[in-house]
Amino acid sequence: MATLQLNNLHAEVVEADEKILDGVDLTVESGEIHALMGPNGSGKSTTAKVIAGHPAYEVTEGEVLLELDDEEWGEELPEEKLTWNLLDLEPNERAALGVFLGFQYPAEIEGVTMVNFLRQALNAKLEEREELFEDEADAAEDEDDDAGYETSPMEGPADEGEVDVAEFQQILSEKMELLDIDEEFAQRYLNAGFSGGEKKQNEVLQAAILEPSIAVLDEIDSGLDIDRLQDVSDGINALRDEQGTGILQITHYQRILDYVEPDHVHVMLDGQIAKSGGPELAEKLEDEGYDWVRDEAYEAA
Amino acid sequence: MTAAQVHETISEETVRQISDELDEPDWLLETRLDALAALDDLEMPDVIRTPGRDWTNLHALDFEEFVDPLNAAEDKDQIGPDEVEVLPFAEAVAEREDLLREQFGSVIDPEENYLVALSTALFSTGTVVYVPENVDAEDVTIRTTQNSRSLFNYTLVVTEQSSSVTILERQDTGESVDGERYYSGVVEIAAGENSHVQYGSLQDLDEETYNYALKRGDAADYATVNWVDGNLGSRLTKSSVETNLDGEGSETKTVGAFFGHDDQHFDIAARVWHNTAHTTADLVTRGVLDDEARSVYEGVQDVGREAWDTNSYQRENTLMLSDESEADASPKLIINNHDTEASHSATVGQIDEEDMFYMTSRALGDETARNMLVEGFFVPVLEEIEVEELRDDLAARVRERLQ
Repeated sequence: MATLQLNNLHAEVVEADEKILDGVDLTVESGEIHALMGPNGSGKSTTAKVIAGHPAYEVTEGEVLLELDDEEWGEELPEEKLTWNLLDLEPNERAALGVFLGFQYPAEIEGVTMVNFLRQALNAKLEEREELFEDEADAAEDEDDDAGYETSPMEGPADEGEVDVAEFQQILSEKMELLDIDEEFAQRYLNAGFSGGEKKQNEVLQAAILEPSIAVLDEIDSGLDIDRLQDVSDGINALRDEQGTGILQITHYQRILDYVEPDHVHVMLDGQIAKSGGPELAEKLEDEGYDWVRDEAYEAA
Repeated sequence: MTAAQVHETISEETVRQISDELDEPDWLLETRLDALAALDDLEMPDVIRTPGRDWTNLHALDFEEFVDPLNAAEDKDQIGPDEVEVLPFAEAVAEREDLLREQFGSVIDPEENYLVALSTALFSTGTVVYVPENVDAEDVTIRTTQNSRSLFNYTLVVTEQSSSVTILERQDTGESVDGERYYSGVVEIAAGENSHVQYGSLQDLDEETYNYALKRGDAADYATVNWVDGNLGSRLTKSSVETNLDGEGSETKTVGAFFGHDDQHFDIAARVWHNTAHTTADLVTRGVLDDEARSVYEGVQDVGREAWDTNSYQRENTLMLSDESEADASPKLIINNHDTEASHSATVGQIDEEDMFYMTSRALGDETARNMLVEGFFVPVLEEIEVEELRDDLAARVRERLQ
């Protein structure tokens, strides 16, 4: 369980010096579903990328905090391990803490099979997590352990990781069945030659395997036919219902919200959250567009 | 022109001594002496030039320092199944003089350029592989471990009609020698009618060694000559893998892979000549450069006037892992017959930042992500390698280098 908190977040494109986020405030808790809507160029995707740590963006003001609830960790966490400033962390460390970004346009990675990638990702997450949570005295001890491990050839391949191949195969099969994904996907190269819909399905599969506490899904519904939209929606609902993941779903269309019912709907305009409300807000946006939100926002200002 | 420097240090006497130790017939001694005499007038092999720059400066090689043929030393394995003759060169001279006389220099002109002529004059070791008609043989392996300052090696493969053979030749260096070394390897393949040759090479010389390699095959009617050329070692490599598609319906596939680091320099070429009708060529090369390594690639597909119904494909990709590495690639397609389906492409690039972000956003650390991308980059090339042992070896060496 965790809470993701964006406080007065300002960000710009590093190379273009172009301001995109202009004070975003947003809180997403585990178990909640939030929809983030808004016209093109309003800053929705940038918000997602900044949360995940994309190097092309520079945060000029504000913070992105992840507050953990120690129940999940099975032991009481010390105070300093409860709140994390994500902006101080590398993308892989953010992922290890339970933040997941579902990409609008996932990269195609040639030569790396899905099954290999996902297993290594899961193991990397578990390993990185351990490192983030151990205190410094333990860390020093661990390094000694590691050194000993590597010099002993009898221990087997050191890169096997916590979840071995057989165990992972089992996890993967279950999740793939849940999402109605063909088994042969596992041996394909990561997103290489995937259709747009297959890529989106694959993003949800990855979330299902990494079991994040907060998943930011950037236009996961764009370009999906109705069957795949249902599969993807089932996957997202399962994340919330079975793993308690908090969902921040960025979308252009109200359609997916019929399948994945949001608890909260936010409208983004010009790099800020201009309006928040319940599911009825999405319907009004679908019917009336964004102009009225803009008008309201300017009146208020 | 500094090419004459060797001629001053290598005498006719030296050449006679090498030839005598191998108990060679007069014709072969004459061929060597002619090559020696020709050195003065021969040019270095061509190198890629871009404005203001010769990518590989062969004239700067200090042959006086390197070349010491009378002290050549090596470990050699030359192994093959019973139905194939795999002969050390001296044995080939003794037992297969007629074959040698017919084939030696038939594919590569002994005086083709300065470095080939030098090799012809001075080679002291080699292997002759003879595959009789209808024989189907796998697992011919040749391993050369260089233990001296210089080593000149020669390989001849002759396949008779409807035979097939898989050959894996490796080069590495053993006992350390102070300073720089020179390895030269010339490979000729005469592929008979309807025969099938797979020749793989894995070059893993130490990084003080300068390496010149020229491998060329002539394919008769319906013959196939497939190459795998893996380059990992050496300080500087100038390597060319070439096929003459002389026979109707003949084919070649050339798969190249290199991985340079530190200040290694690879000058890699793949070339094919479509000389007659219904021939097919596929040239695929991938290379990775780290640190200050450099590579230059040249690919040539030459479709001759008589080459009706030609299929010819070429692609090359170089991936640079550091800002200090440098690469140049020039794929060339020369078409003199319109009845040709052909493509050629080359790319030089760095690791894609979006790819890295995608992978690290899945909890993979920078180094793991990068290594997976590099291993993945080689996969399309590895998948083209039909010899499992070579494929596994190459993949393992790539992984080692990434550690």
